[in-house]
Amino acid sequence: MDKNKDINNDIKFLVKSEIRLKILSELNKQPNNIRGIVKKTKITYSSVSSNIGKLEKKNYIRKTNKKYYVTPMTEVYFNSIMEFKQSVDLINTYDKFWDKHNLNQLSIESVKNITDLKDSEMIETTPIDIFKTHNTIKEQIMQSENVKAIFPYLHPEYPKLIEELLNNQGSIELIIPQSIFKEFFLRIDRKTRKMAENNGKLKVHEYKDDLNLYLTLCDKNISLGLFKNDGSFDQNRILISDNHNSNVWASELFEHVKKQVAK
Amino acid sequence: MTNIETRQELTDEFSGIKYILSSGMRSRLLLCIYKNPKNLDDLRHDLKKPSATILHGLKELETINLVKKVKKSYELTSNGYLLTTNMIKLIDNWYSVNKTKDFWNNHDLSDLPEEVLKNIYLLKDAECVTSTTSNLSNAFNRYLKLISDANRLKIILPIYSENHFKYLTELLEKNKLESLDLVINKKILDSLKKHELFTENFLQNEKVNVICSNRDLKLFLTYSDDFMSLSLFFNDGHYDDSQILIAKDENAVKWASSLINYYKWRETWKDI
Repeated sequence: MDKNKDINNDIKFLVKSEIRLKILSELNKQPNNIRGIVKKTKITYSSVSSNIGKLEKKNYIRKTNKKYYVTPMTEVYFNSIMEFKQSVDLINTYDKFWDKHNLNQLSIESVKNITDLKDSEMIETTPIDIFKTHNTIKEQIMQSENVKAIFPYLHPEYPKLIEELLNNQGSIELIIPQSIFKEFFLRIDRKTRKMAENNGKLKVHEYKDDLNLYLTLCDKNISLGLFKNDGSFDQNRILISDNHNSNVWASELFEHVKKQVAK
Repeated sequence: MTNIETRQELTDEFSGIKYILSSGMRSRLLLCIYKNPKNLDDLRHDLKKPSATILHGLKELETINLVKKVKKSYELTSNGYLLTTNMIKLIDNWYSVNKTKDFWNNHDLSDLPEEVLKNIYLLKDAECVTSTTSNLSNAFNRYLKLISDANRLKIILPIYSENHFKYLTELLEKNKLESLDLVINKKILDSLKKHELFTENFLQNEKVNVICSNRDLKLFLTYSDDFMSLSLFFNDGHYDDSQILIAKDENAVKWASSLINYYKWRETWKDI
């Protein structure tokens, strides 16, 4: 195996001890001395002291004016480990969302940047609210002026929703599979549709194959839905988020799928 | 002894990454089946370990739902795919930093935000150019050469240097440079304005778009469609003109553009 493609001993050294990781995490926030770290982490003095010694010996930290500092490079290393930790936490937190679901339509960049979704909320249907996921998205669309969306299937309410949005001078850009393309348009009022198309307020991209992804980018939120490995859409859970990073994440994913249309 | 409660908290906090990263076997197995599913024979061949060791590792990964067995092959589950992709990113980040170790270790990185540093793997193909005692302006000359063919440039310039402005003005006059977006702070803008030549030929040039930043960014970033370069400050606050990081691939340009976008979105940048 290529040596550059393996977890090297430096990484192993750092992650092997939770105490070292905790010490680095404290020093990364602010320089401190052993006593200060003991106070903050509740780890014993002897454990902190011996691990500080090991970290200093390997040049991960330096002592200046009685305080320990992480070196700039350690900062980058540590951030990378924490970034990986966040991705693991994100996978575990939304386990039901990812597990046994098809991720083929996600670009490799979107998987690498998955921690951008860390402040998302998973919306799940409940026995007393079986349309919770659909209604959440519907509300987001109704409150938006500009919408971008990947709709892999035709929900009977979508044509009306789009019609309303266009009538309120909003704009929408869609990616939909070829199989529902015609049906979709027949259900939108012809005059509204034509006018919006002419004004550039309605753009639709026809996707040749099946789409295995559901994505909306509304004014304030994004939502993401996946297909199960058995090929059916999982109507029971979506991820929604209203922060900037997830918005950028979703825009890039939308553009990625759009490029495939052009091909 | 650290008390049991604290120890448990620590274990819980880092268990997810420790379990995968500290075991050579588990991490290697994941990497091995990342591209294609493999059966036991393939794995034994790739990893050069006995079946028992490999099967034990696979069992552990199956238990935490990262690997599944389909017919006789082992493949990643959805969760396994997400995790392994991000583990590869960690390995690449590490490789990237290590390759240009001196550059990162010598400088103040405080204006490189976490959001951008976490994608440092994009700079995997970057090289660090250093001035030497026999060639004092090696870094600067390489920089000039780099920008001399660019059509479009975006620059965050944290220092006032007549040499830089003179050269940029020349490039604009030669007509090769079609557009220049320049982010500078107020002090540099004021110094520029004091200089008649720069006011006329640079600031008033319609190809130049000057953006004034309220913050004194401690990074000198340049990028065009096909290259990027970065130089930084020493920890004592002085600009280091002797080292420059240069890359000419798409990923590195993407990294540079994400850095500018990070500040564009957060800082109030005024067009002049």
